[in-house]
Amino acid sequence: MFQNTKCECGHQNHVGTVLCESCGKPLGEQLLSDEPLEMRYDGVARRSQKANPNFIDKIWNFFSSVKIAVYLIIITLLASALGTIFRQESLLSEDPATYYEIQHGTIGKIYYMLGLSRTYESWWFTTLLVMIGTSLVVCSLDRVLPLYRALSKQQIRKHLHFILRQKVVHKTQISGDETEFINKLGEQLKKKRYRVHQDGTALLAEKNRFSRWGPYINHIGLILFLLAVLARSIPGFQMDMYVAVQQGQTVEIEGTPYYIKNEQFTVDYYTDDELPEPLKGTARPKLFETKAVLYECTANCNNLTQEPVLQEVYRHDIVMNNPMVYEGLKAYQSGFDATPRLEAVKPVLINKETGEEFGPFDLEIRNPKTSFEAGPYKLELRSQFMEFAIDENGEPTTLSRDPNAPAYLFILSGPGLKQDGEPYLYFPNQIDKLQFNQDAINRPIADRFEIKVNGMENVKLSGPITYLNIRKDKALPYIWIGATISMIGLIMGFYWHHRRVWLRVDSGVLSLGAHTNKNFYGMRNDVAWALGKAGIEVDPKSLDNGGNKT
Amino acid sequence: MGAYRKKVQIAILILVVLIGGFAIGNALFKNDSKVPGVGDSPPGFSLFDLNGNAHNLSDYEGKPLIITFWGTFCPPCVKELPEFQRLYDKWQSKGLEVLAINLSEADLPVQNFVSKLNLNFTVLRDVNRKVERQYGLRSYPTTFFVKPDGTISEIAITAMTEKQIQERVEKLFQSS
Repeated sequence: MFQNTKCECGHQNHVGTVLCESCGKPLGEQLLSDEPLEMRYDGVARRSQKANPNFIDKIWNFFSSVKIAVYLIIITLLASALGTIFRQESLLSEDPATYYEIQHGTIGKIYYMLGLSRTYESWWFTTLLVMIGTSLVVCSLDRVLPLYRALSKQQIRKHLHFILRQKVVHKTQISGDETEFINKLGEQLKKKRYRVHQDGTALLAEKNRFSRWGPYINHIGLILFLLAVLARSIPGFQMDMYVAVQQGQTVEIEGTPYYIKNEQFTVDYYTDDELPEPLKGTARPKLFETKAVLYECTANCNNLTQEPVLQEVYRHDIVMNNPMVYEGLKAYQSGFDATPRLEAVKPVLINKETGEEFGPFDLEIRNPKTSFEAGPYKLELRSQFMEFAIDENGEPTTLSRDPNAPAYLFILSGPGLKQDGEPYLYFPNQIDKLQFNQDAINRPIADRFEIKVNGMENVKLSGPITYLNIRKDKALPYIWIGATISMIGLIMGFYWHHRRVWLRVDSGVLSLGAHTNKNFYGMRNDVAWALGKAGIEVDPKSLDNGGNKT
Repeated sequence: MGAYRKKVQIAILILVVLIGGFAIGNALFKNDSKVPGVGDSPPGFSLFDLNGNAHNLSDYEGKPLIITFWGTFCPPCVKELPEFQRLYDKWQSKGLEVLAINLSEADLPVQNFVSKLNLNFTVLRDVNRKVERQYGLRSYPTTFFVKPDGTISEIAITAMTEKQIQERVEKLFQSS
């Protein structure tokens, strides 16, 4: 298709130009109308507008379209919204294959099958983000470069069509010297901080051009933001998990070479004086703190048959909002469990007939020794049940591997006992002893012997457990930088307006046009003020040429 | 001017393809939460048996392998282990290996249990539930059938009868 792009002023314009790049005369369809001009991008052609686009140009043009960008953003918004309907898989501890159906029925099953339970990690969501990013880059480049060119070499004397079809227009007869009048008006505009350029009897006054770059700076920030978000999928860039560490213990932080030790955990509760009436008498934690030590594993890491070699690298007292920070790794205080659990007991063996006491002996709850001596008696540990129960066959069994209701089966031998010993089932927890009726189970021996703990000083309780939230996010600084740049761009674009005034005097007739990208009210006031100071009184409203809302 | 514009266009599109391709590829091929599935290689480990000998998964390369996780607190596991024993007796001579990994229990219950049932395949002791987590266990018993080429052919997350195990073991041998 052939299109004549040469303007009457002699300038050769690019395909797609709306207003001549040099004199501003409307081209193409704009020429036929009397409406105020469409001034977007100063009427220059977008970079990619070409007469014969090839394949690469076509891809480029696709992403260069603002319409496409808007659709992409709408689709991404809808997808993000769908992802919030049910809980995402990454937050589940249950098996996702069954969770959604059990929890939400058929809809949940469909949700899972459609892959919406993994929206934000899915390839299609990432594809949408990548497309938005591409569109941002291409749209910006396609517009900012031509706009920059157009604004940096503006012609001062514009075509009359251009001036008189602005949204702010004034045309009047002036008396006296034309150049002197232009000089006078220019002086006034300078007082309003306009930069004034003069070319004989034509004048161009302009201010705040930098605000036009605001949207593009905003886009640079957004692109950086998007790249940082995408970078999170690189292994090792981000982690967020919880570890439970009992006082005195050291646990591995999986996925890192670090181990963390809870040296001491302390919790302060509010006193009743500090609590409001309804809460008095309840345990309300005021402050809890983990004295933590961070170790780095230097050898035998990830080898369960050898002890890892640990080297202390850092220590910090972790309190709420005061995490341990070490080389990008952060450990936040998240919660605690101060419920005491039995760790070890020191029971004694009592001969009920004589009243004699033997022992005590050390019985560890989790990994006990199997043979003990108490005076002349021998105790052989035969079985250990962490959560004692009787199964369907009447046999003792354990329901879990955690010491919720520990029980120990000893074979007692010694004076007054059968040659090959007699069994005795011992429950260290008083509550289990009553519930399972220890004496009834041990009936043949219970009235002669007893194993029991004398006083709390013979009980070793486990220390409190602290829950730490371990986080690492290398992308975060870039997200902040991106957000800051984006904000700077927004402020530039929102709070400053690009204002321009063109005028020319042709045989005593002054033609004035003015344009701004927002706030035409202010634009008209500027022009009316300057004209008034130059001796032409006009009502700002009378400058309105229609076609605008402000 | 034209050539320069073309270069910029191509450079930007190449960057988009590279960065976008990386990000999308990452999302597409990311093995969700690193849990091994059918066709993957089982995560390596090194654990002690009841006699304190270290066993590496790599020691069993090239053999049809059953890795099962069990605990004395899990009644179906307790029922299933003798089935594994019967199968092991049958297929041991042909090269089948069974690794029964205990779910981080104390010494005594494990010792008692193994000697009571007379198990003579390899019983290993997990430490602090670490291997269990690596294998992404959600329920017990869970059994991984590993082909001689080192890939998982099936994951059974229920207790199986001898017949059911038999069928799966036959498949392991067929694939070699």
